[in-house]
Amino acid sequence: MTNTFGIFASVLGGAGLVLGLAYGLMSRDYRDQEVAALTDRLSQMESSRAALAAKADQAAEFEARLGDLEQALAAARDEAEAARQAAADAEIAAKERIAEPVAEDVTPANLDFGDPARGAEVFAQCQSCHQVGQGAEDRIGPHLNGIFGRRAGAHDGFNYSDDMEMMGADGLTWNRDTLDAYLENPKALVSRTRMNFAGLKDAEDRADILAYLRQFSASPQDIPEAAPTAQVPEVELAPEVLEIVGDTDYGEYLSSECKTCHQQDGSDQGIPAITQWPTEDFVVAMHAYKQEIRPHPVMQMMANRLSDEEIAALAAYFAQLE
Amino acid sequence: MKLNRRVFVGTGMAAATTLSAPMVHAASHGKPKVVVVGGGAGGATAARYIAKDSQGEIDVTLVEPSRSYYTCFFSNLYIGGFRELDSIEHSYGTLASEYGINVVHDWATGVDRDAKTVSLAGGASVPYDRLVLSPGIDFVEGSVDGWDLSAQNAMPHAYKGGSQTELLKAQVEAMPEGGTYVMVAPPNPYRCPPGPYERISMVAHVLKASNPTAKIIIADPKQNFSKQGLFEEGWQKYYSGMITRIGPDFGGGNVTVDPAAMTVDIDGEVIQADVVNVIPAQKAGMICDAAGLTEGNWAPVSGHTMQSRMDDNIHILGDSTNQGDMPKSGFSANSQAKVAAMAVRGALTDSRVFPAKFSNTCWSLIDTNDGVKVGATYEATDEKIAKVDGFVSQTGEDAALRQATYEESIGWYEGITSDMFG
Repeated sequence: MTNTFGIFASVLGGAGLVLGLAYGLMSRDYRDQEVAALTDRLSQMESSRAALAAKADQAAEFEARLGDLEQALAAARDEAEAARQAAADAEIAAKERIAEPVAEDVTPANLDFGDPARGAEVFAQCQSCHQVGQGAEDRIGPHLNGIFGRRAGAHDGFNYSDDMEMMGADGLTWNRDTLDAYLENPKALVSRTRMNFAGLKDAEDRADILAYLRQFSASPQDIPEAAPTAQVPEVELAPEVLEIVGDTDYGEYLSSECKTCHQQDGSDQGIPAITQWPTEDFVVAMHAYKQEIRPHPVMQMMANRLSDEEIAALAAYFAQLE
Repeated sequence: MKLNRRVFVGTGMAAATTLSAPMVHAASHGKPKVVVVGGGAGGATAARYIAKDSQGEIDVTLVEPSRSYYTCFFSNLYIGGFRELDSIEHSYGTLASEYGINVVHDWATGVDRDAKTVSLAGGASVPYDRLVLSPGIDFVEGSVDGWDLSAQNAMPHAYKGGSQTELLKAQVEAMPEGGTYVMVAPPNPYRCPPGPYERISMVAHVLKASNPTAKIIIADPKQNFSKQGLFEEGWQKYYSGMITRIGPDFGGGNVTVDPAAMTVDIDGEVIQADVVNVIPAQKAGMICDAAGLTEGNWAPVSGHTMQSRMDDNIHILGDSTNQGDMPKSGFSANSQAKVAAMAVRGALTDSRVFPAKFSNTCWSLIDTNDGVKVGATYEATDEKIAKVDGFVSQTGEDAALRQATYEESIGWYEGITSDMFG
């Protein structure tokens, strides 16, 4: 069998009968050794090829990283330019407003403004974060008394996003036009604002809300006696539930579940930021989900199995997160 | 040498007493060592949480062969043209630089459970006090007649992220006019239950625009599948007449493929196809088997701590596990990783331990701005991880809600990837 194969191979290869016989007579051991040697060489070649490939990968990675950095630099430049532009626009807009007669600015009949009574209704959707009127305080968002004429990000005691503070420092001041633009699409004006609001697309809704808000701005003494934000609380909670002091260690563990969706650094995109909320607002919101007053099915499910202590723990943890 | 016994708060009490561990092993020479195998949704999250929360008290080594990780979740959106490939690519740089994790790009090939070491393909042997295995899935050989891994270029599975996904997308885009795409769907249980059907939606979305007379055939061994009503409603609405699903009653489970001829034999009927996407039956990543931690195709674990039922020093996460009611998904693996990270820290340092809580939500995209979701919460019992509560999107929801659901999924992607990679 081996001989036959040897002869056959020699004829095929044109190497001659003698070589063929010699090949055929080679012992099995000898060939095994040869195969082993070849296998060794193959694996050596393979490992050197792998090493080369790894180096190539590394080079590609460095190149990619360089590319990323360049891109990030370009993006940062674009963003800075956009911010400058927005600030400049805002300044122009602000100057235009200032140039107008003051009387026109504060008269509710101003055509630029809508119906304040309807505005009060539209404002209902803002009230889970913002208060306005007598006794209004900062909550998840700043209170809105005196918002007209206020410089963006400049209300003392409220922790604004860096972007909002920067826009304010660059000259953004709230007036009919800047507030209208902000309400239409908050992130278009202030790209990383902490205000989790998609925007009011209807121009009439915005005009109505601004007419409503201006009542609390023109001159503070005109603020109505009864707080217009007074409303039925979102959920009725026993005082002892609101008084629970949250265990932040436990809150940190529980929060790991929240952080699959809600980002730790407070950025938001499709899913709201939940850091730095007043603990009471956090507790109220979670109980509103738990009692299915707020509609979101994921949040209802998550809140549903949290005890009062666990909700307090989460509120305490997220409130202190930088 | 038991220096410390740790008990669980509340529901974990019964199991905890049998699972407590020595505080620091003599072999550790100082800091306790944790080795994590697999840098996906389970492993990367576990490594990051152990390193972050132990604040340097535990040495963490992450063993992962790839330098770039492509998420399986959202890879269908890449096929559909809704994402760029580089938007689902992630590196381990931040885990190394900001969290001090020792990231080793190598294959883990075996575990010596007595010596407590992991052997690497490169020849090294890495000691551990606790080992976390999160190797994802491997395929069951011979589960689709005519297909094996050597056929994955002719008939891609695209069920592990990266080059396979690219290949499948390229093949779909190169289909001839009026061509045929066949998917061989997997039997239960498998990674990402809605995944094959979201993929069908995305392929149909591409073909509808570029090749509207093309056909899609699904050979499916399962009677029912995840979010079935939602997908079927969407397919009827957007891709009417394009998609045919052959279930088990019509021989959808009786499939033979021929990668050389590009044919698929479904219960005796031979189809000449242009793209064949074979998603085989699945099993735990091979390291689980190599370490002797599997029963059947999967690795059984305790839900209280994600510890292997066969070795208290080893925690297993994600797709590889047999844990109970949770689906195999990136979200589940990420959720399980946090429970395991807490248990590992509790065992190796004196950190507090809390009862295990788990959750999962899976979003799927059916067509532009039409997203749906399914989710549930879970708790650990002594037998398994048991479902507590759940929800699923409804058929007939309005467009605004579907768009909000899709936008929420984008937010979730940002959230989970920063939770994994820092």
